[in-house]
Amino acid sequence: MSTELLIAIIITVVGASTPILIAALGELVVEKSGVLNLGVEGMMLVGAITAFVVTFTTGNHYLAIVCAAGAGVAASMIFGFLTLSLSANQTATGLALTIFGTGFSALAGQGYSARPVTLLGPLFPAELATHPVWRVLFGYSALVYFSLIMVVVVWFFLKRTRAGLILRAVGENDLSAHSIGYSVIGVRYAAVAFGGAMAGIAGACFPLLLTPQWAERMTAGRGWIAVALVVFASWKPFRLLAGAYLFGLVMTMELYAKAGGGPLSSIPSELWAAMPYLATIVVLVLISIRRDASSNAPACLGRPFLPSN
Amino acid sequence: MQFRLEKRREPSRVVLYSAPLIAVLLTMFFGAIIFSAIGYDGVGAVREIFLTPITNSLKWQDLAVKASPLIIIGVGLSIAYRANVWNIGAEGQYIMGGLAATWVALLTHGMGGFWILPAMMVAGFLGGAAYAAIPAFFKTRLNVNEILTSLMLTYASVQLIYYLVRAPWKDPMGMGFPQTRRFASEALLPNIVPGTIVHAGVPIAIIVALVAWFVMSRSVFGYQVKVVGSAPHAARYGGFSENKTIWLALLLSGALAGFAGALEVSGPFQRMVPGFPTNYGFTAIIVAFLGRLNPLGVIFAGIIMAITFVGGEVAQTTIGLPSSASGIFQSMMLFFLLAGDILVRYRLKRVAPQGEARA
Amino acid sequence: MTLNRRTMLKAGAVAAALPLLGSRAFAQTEPLKIGFVLVGTINDNGWNYAHNQARLYLEEQLGDAVETVYVENVPEGPDCERVLRELAQQGCKLIFATSFGFGDSVIKVAEQFPDITFEHATGYMRSANVGTYNARFYEGRAVCGTVAGHLSQTGKAGYIGSFPIPEVVMGVNAFVLAARKVNPEFTITPVYLSSWNDPAKEADAARAMIDQGIDVIAQHTDGPAALQVAEERGIVGGFGQGADMSAFAPNAQLTSIIDNWGPHYVKTAQAVIDGTWESKDSWPGLAEGEVEIGAYGPKVPEDVVAAAEAVKQGQIDGSLHIFTGPINDHTGTERVAAGVTLTDEELLSMDWYVEGVIPPA
Repeated sequence: MSTELLIAIIITVVGASTPILIAALGELVVEKSGVLNLGVEGMMLVGAITAFVVTFTTGNHYLAIVCAAGAGVAASMIFGFLTLSLSANQTATGLALTIFGTGFSALAGQGYSARPVTLLGPLFPAELATHPVWRVLFGYSALVYFSLIMVVVVWFFLKRTRAGLILRAVGENDLSAHSIGYSVIGVRYAAVAFGGAMAGIAGACFPLLLTPQWAERMTAGRGWIAVALVVFASWKPFRLLAGAYLFGLVMTMELYAKAGGGPLSSIPSELWAAMPYLATIVVLVLISIRRDASSNAPACLGRPFLPSN
Repeated sequence: MQFRLEKRREPSRVVLYSAPLIAVLLTMFFGAIIFSAIGYDGVGAVREIFLTPITNSLKWQDLAVKASPLIIIGVGLSIAYRANVWNIGAEGQYIMGGLAATWVALLTHGMGGFWILPAMMVAGFLGGAAYAAIPAFFKTRLNVNEILTSLMLTYASVQLIYYLVRAPWKDPMGMGFPQTRRFASEALLPNIVPGTIVHAGVPIAIIVALVAWFVMSRSVFGYQVKVVGSAPHAARYGGFSENKTIWLALLLSGALAGFAGALEVSGPFQRMVPGFPTNYGFTAIIVAFLGRLNPLGVIFAGIIMAITFVGGEVAQTTIGLPSSASGIFQSMMLFFLLAGDILVRYRLKRVAPQGEARA
Repeated sequence: MTLNRRTMLKAGAVAAALPLLGSRAFAQTEPLKIGFVLVGTINDNGWNYAHNQARLYLEEQLGDAVETVYVENVPEGPDCERVLRELAQQGCKLIFATSFGFGDSVIKVAEQFPDITFEHATGYMRSANVGTYNARFYEGRAVCGTVAGHLSQTGKAGYIGSFPIPEVVMGVNAFVLAARKVNPEFTITPVYLSSWNDPAKEADAARAMIDQGIDVIAQHTDGPAALQVAEERGIVGGFGQGADMSAFAPNAQLTSIIDNWGPHYVKTAQAVIDGTWESKDSWPGLAEGEVEIGAYGPKVPEDVVAAAEAVKQGQIDGSLHIFTGPINDHTGTERVAAGVTLTDEELLSMDWYVEGVIPPA
């Protein structure tokens, strides 16, 4: 394989991985606080249509990203209000949020599908990315660097800050966190909002980073991949980074193998498509055997906080 | 003025059973306002989505056929959820049931015999149960979260359909299209009301729900499920095995989902096609909640969900409402229902604005 | 009631025709109500969009003699059956089902409603009141292949498809047969995505192709994703599928294949009104205007346009059929003898690749 091709593959993999990485980082924080939001796919679609409409009307990509984040937060607050303030079942509410996001984005996107926009260009000036090797480092749009920075930020926040410690405490044992005097609900609201913002930005990646158009259901199940990825990474940000790129590689290698006709092209495409999910189950089982899941899977995941008052 | 929640001594039965009705009414009310506000005929939308399917007798057969798989899967899920076992992979179990039944149908093609259809149903049962056994095994042995495994397995099963109908099971006479051959007549679910599309799956759905209701409310098993689900510690003292309940809950919900898959493939579909996964497994989760995790409630919830699907199509043809509208109505309904749930266990109480700060 | 329903339709053309209702001599006769069942949304920039455009064209042409409704995002399977019955019960006398997967449902429902005419796009099962129709898109592919053969510098094209059904295989073959008439070394690599609508995956497939030396991309999936990548990467180009997509790729779109179902819909509706409709398979192409070649892009020089137009004209006047032998399959074995042309049946069940196709596993 030539260096040129290798570099080209890396660049495509980075693009394909970025939205799932961003969405999964958000979901990781949500789950660390003890909440399981299965509405990622729906929030991503809300973010995608918001980003598209804002880009189309203003031409300002960065404004579009901010608005997509805001729309993601708004969508996540439906979930937050129901599950946190009203202790509704998280699984059902998350699914409802996905149905809502799919319907809402399709309705809001009517009439926008025959309209082109432009992708968000590379962050650094083109002179930095003339040599192919430099292109791997400096050839991406801001969304890619954002996703990488956020890996560090989320890791630092969870491991090194007091707020992160509280968030983890709330996810591990809500009742004791509550008895010490932390606002379980408040912390979880903040986490859910963060998850919404990240899912919205992940959605924005579709029209701004991958394919500059709006199409109904254009996230095509990647929100669920993000949910799988959090588990795959056993709730650790740097493993999440590795996992996202691995998933992106699997999704992209299939296409390169088929287009290039190499030996890998004989693997049925259905197996390629199923691989991320099967791999996630395998990882789930492995980490459980090694018993380090118990230390990482938030103990309160998916359970409503019901202080006995 | 502020409100705070106060726990009820007993869960309110009135709220429990009236909440779905109120949720539907609120959805109709706000749906009409929202869709009017964005330039559609909002009142017409509510009329066509919620009322036309009930008032037009031609639609009843559609409701029955659409509701029955939702009811069968929803009943299984409601039992699992009662046991606090969160099987959200019913879609995958439905698919595996359908595939198992298809396998039998293709294997026996041309043999003839009354036993083929029952064999397909058994295969559906087993296929769904076997697929649900995977999360059950990992949950009981390694404490792996069943929400995640059952969900992941669903996505893998969709790919399995694509593969099977594209390659080994492809109809040799099908002009190369990715689907199996049409099943032989022995492998088709009989129609029970002449002149309609109502097939044997419809009464079966009702029977499944009634039996489940009886078992849940009258048997030791039902009691065990509820105790393990609501008070695992107490259950342990009472000698009920949590692991056994997890196994039973997953196998039962998986088997019913697989059974629904077998009924669907032998009834409405009559062959396996890539379009077989129609989200019944996910919609049934909503049905289970809408039905208050009660098998009898699930019957009504299944019908309500079927109404929104059928009505959504009516609204497209009569008032030009886009298809995305039914998703918005469905999610609104569920949001309202889930929001109302808290009032089952708590009551709203007015407190003074400078009431004590709550953590 | 009918009036109300019509007013609600967002189709501007209908609204404009409304005041005329009742003022004409034949207003007493009920308009022919026509239903359309679509597998995706009318906003997909591709297949379903084209059918909806044709529906609007039909209304425009036949005015108040017809009335149309459509249902979008209809899943293939029992849901389709229900929608078909719904349309029948609402008084549609002619129903177009526009996806292959609706076939079983159409046959079943047609049995229950013998007085209603059904037309199933891209299908092969017919009955007394079910006709089938399709368009010879492969004729358009041959024109695109000619352009590709002339312009491609690497001699390598990619073809993004959803599933390897005969319709798609036929298109791949027609494309490469035409291209190899220009450049005998030309090859094409089909990549199947197992999805009709995953634009991000289409875009990545296009990237994977371009990175491996492919400089012309054709696609069989809806939407402009691959073309947009072609534009962004500045390769030779690609082709609009179903509709003109130059808005998305002003430089990269070399030309486009435009689905024009309108004439067929007008003809069929008129036949039903006149009582002359009969069940048959209708498979018109460039000659009938059902397949159109869009405007050529700025990168296509005069002589290439002329060569492409010659291929188009040859297919219109019948002097050229792209599937006339000698044709070898991808292993190099002769499959069609010199002078022999594949029959329609052979085309509609095509499951083999011609020479020049690098077959997928």
